[in-house]
Amino acid sequence: MSNVLRPYLGAVRSTLTAALTLENFSSQVVERHNKPEVEAAGSKEVLLNPLIISRNENERVLIEPSINSIRLSIKIKQADEIERILCHKFTRFMMQRAESFIVLRRKPVPGYDISFLITNTHSETMLKHKIVDFIIQFMEEVDREISEMKLSLNARARIVAESYLLAV
Amino acid sequence: MPEIFSISPTPVTAHAFNADRSQLAVSLNSNDAQILTHNGSQWAATEMLTEHDKTITSIDWAPNSNQIVTASQDRNAYVWQQSPDPKTGTIVWKPTLVLLRINRAATHVRWSPKEDKFAVASGDRAIAICSFDPENNWWVSKLLKKPIRSTVLAVDWHPNNVLLAAGSADMKARVLSAFIKEIDERPAAGVWGSKLPFNTICAEFASAAGGWVHGVAFSPSGDVLAFVSHDSSISIAYPGGPVHNIRMPTLPLVTLTWTTEDSIVAAGHDCQPLVFSGSDAGWQEIGTLDDGSHAASKTGPGLTGRLNKSGAFGAFQNADSRGQSSITSTDTKLLTIHQNTITSIRPYQGAPGQVTQVSTTAVDGKLVIWDTASVSALTGRMAAMSM
Amino acid sequence: MDGAFRKIDIDAFDEDIIQESELYEADPRDPAQVLEEARARQSSVRGFLSKNDVVGALTTVLENAPYGPNVEDAKTISLQTLLSILNNTKSTEISNVVKSLSMDCQDTLMKYLYKGMAMSAWADSNASVLLSWHEKLTEIAGTGCIVRTMTDRRTV
Repeated sequence: MSNVLRPYLGAVRSTLTAALTLENFSSQVVERHNKPEVEAAGSKEVLLNPLIISRNENERVLIEPSINSIRLSIKIKQADEIERILCHKFTRFMMQRAESFIVLRRKPVPGYDISFLITNTHSETMLKHKIVDFIIQFMEEVDREISEMKLSLNARARIVAESYLLAV
Repeated sequence: MPEIFSISPTPVTAHAFNADRSQLAVSLNSNDAQILTHNGSQWAATEMLTEHDKTITSIDWAPNSNQIVTASQDRNAYVWQQSPDPKTGTIVWKPTLVLLRINRAATHVRWSPKEDKFAVASGDRAIAICSFDPENNWWVSKLLKKPIRSTVLAVDWHPNNVLLAAGSADMKARVLSAFIKEIDERPAAGVWGSKLPFNTICAEFASAAGGWVHGVAFSPSGDVLAFVSHDSSISIAYPGGPVHNIRMPTLPLVTLTWTTEDSIVAAGHDCQPLVFSGSDAGWQEIGTLDDGSHAASKTGPGLTGRLNKSGAFGAFQNADSRGQSSITSTDTKLLTIHQNTITSIRPYQGAPGQVTQVSTTAVDGKLVIWDTASVSALTGRMAAMSM
Repeated sequence: MDGAFRKIDIDAFDEDIIQESELYEADPRDPAQVLEEARARQSSVRGFLSKNDVVGALTTVLENAPYGPNVEDAKTISLQTLLSILNNTKSTEISNVVKSLSMDCQDTLMKYLYKGMAMSAWADSNASVLLSWHEKLTEIAGTGCIVRTMTDRRTV
């Protein structure tokens, strides 16, 4: 299954590069406003078809593009109950600090674990290929982090159990 | 050799040169426009035009009458004229407010060829055609509304001063008549039609795969219309004849200009200007003006694929073939001169119809002047990519 | 108090806004006819596959693909047919097959790849196939193909 990872990340990378073709677009609905159209969803013609890239049923990425912003939502692999709890805590930790992440969204899109909102101001101030690199790196690391946390959790649990049960 | 100038660290939203190219008006993604003067090898800021409340989206400089028009997201446009300052006596730019009567942001503005009118595209699903009313000494506007259904993203005038091409977010490029009774004389009948009262729709085009029309341009003779849309394609429309659509395997183009009657230079999210050439029999892409010789570092030989190996497949090929991790091996700099989307391309040198140099500004804050003759093939292109 | 009028979505009555249906040209064919065509294509594709003509099979199913709101069954049949072709192709042959497709067919193929990945029932078993086709197709058709999948409202 691991040989699917490279084409999976490659597909996410190329789709993200294609979606990051953003430009400044003032709201058509409210005067003097300039909001991310993918969030405001005021006019249908400025939204593009959402695309899903999936590696298997439990791991997928949803990209919703529009003329001045894109929303990227990731569903992280959670095989058992422990991983579900760890993933929930991990994503919650990050989403509470969404300000420092700049591109992170405070609430995930329903059905997914974590969401990013990238707007034209981000693509103007930051290099687009580096934003894509960041997202791909994030996807690679999240899985690794959660498995590491699970291993250390299990190790700690074993030590605790041993010291408790072996004690007199 | 392209001349590269770093104008600012912020994106350059719009740029316009004066008639002899000694001065440049730019909007640096802010509420103010700056006038830069060319001194030797740099462009130095000489004046700030502060009047707008929100980002200036577009600037145009009329070469003969020396007036600048700026349009902004605050629904206003100002016409600037040079006059001596009463207090100090120096020549400064004085603004005149134009009542556009639009209720949303203005996105694009262009002077007409005779410089007696200008067209402002807006998010109000309308285009304001503004002409000067000498009686009341102000600029009045007439709105072109039907059949536009969404924000107008770009406009371009026909050489006869009456027809206007408009590209909008409802995926259509249209040719409309902007005939103002008081200002224009009746134009001669042409390929686009005859007897054209205000707001007649002469033609409407769309690209097959849809996509917002980011840029439109009439050919120097006015008989052909070219437009670029978000489905990564460029279409060249002959009224009453074929519409040639070239689909690109690259990111969408957002701006274009005709250099001669049969060649176009267009640029966009790929950060390099592309040259297209053809006639009513067919059009194809010829190459790029950016030969990659200015790249900061090359990622090595043997990289096949499409345009530049910036990021994307270069990274994974490196990871695959050389075991370099995808993050550390990609350089921060792209292989093209511009590091971010090119937003605007304008003719720099040469009469309309024989343009020899074009200028581009981009989101990376650079201004580059290109020689239209130095076209190099896109590296690693596959044969027969376009129709 | 009758407050039902407060819950009306006033923007839905605005005549000026663009509706989803106006954003593309509607399929001129009748839905029943489209369904017939989809079934006919399924059988002809089986014929192509038995002769090992992958390009012919792909061209048959990708040209005139059903799109639009009323033809759900035809779309599902076309997707199934396409997935059977993709599963039957050896990974070494994918590049050559994609290179011999026309630009229209490449764009439609990309649309089907994304549709396949979106439907979770198919995704599980076919993900690796879809992803390897996606990788090869992007190499050949470029990111422009993906941009067209995003902008083209004629969703398959």
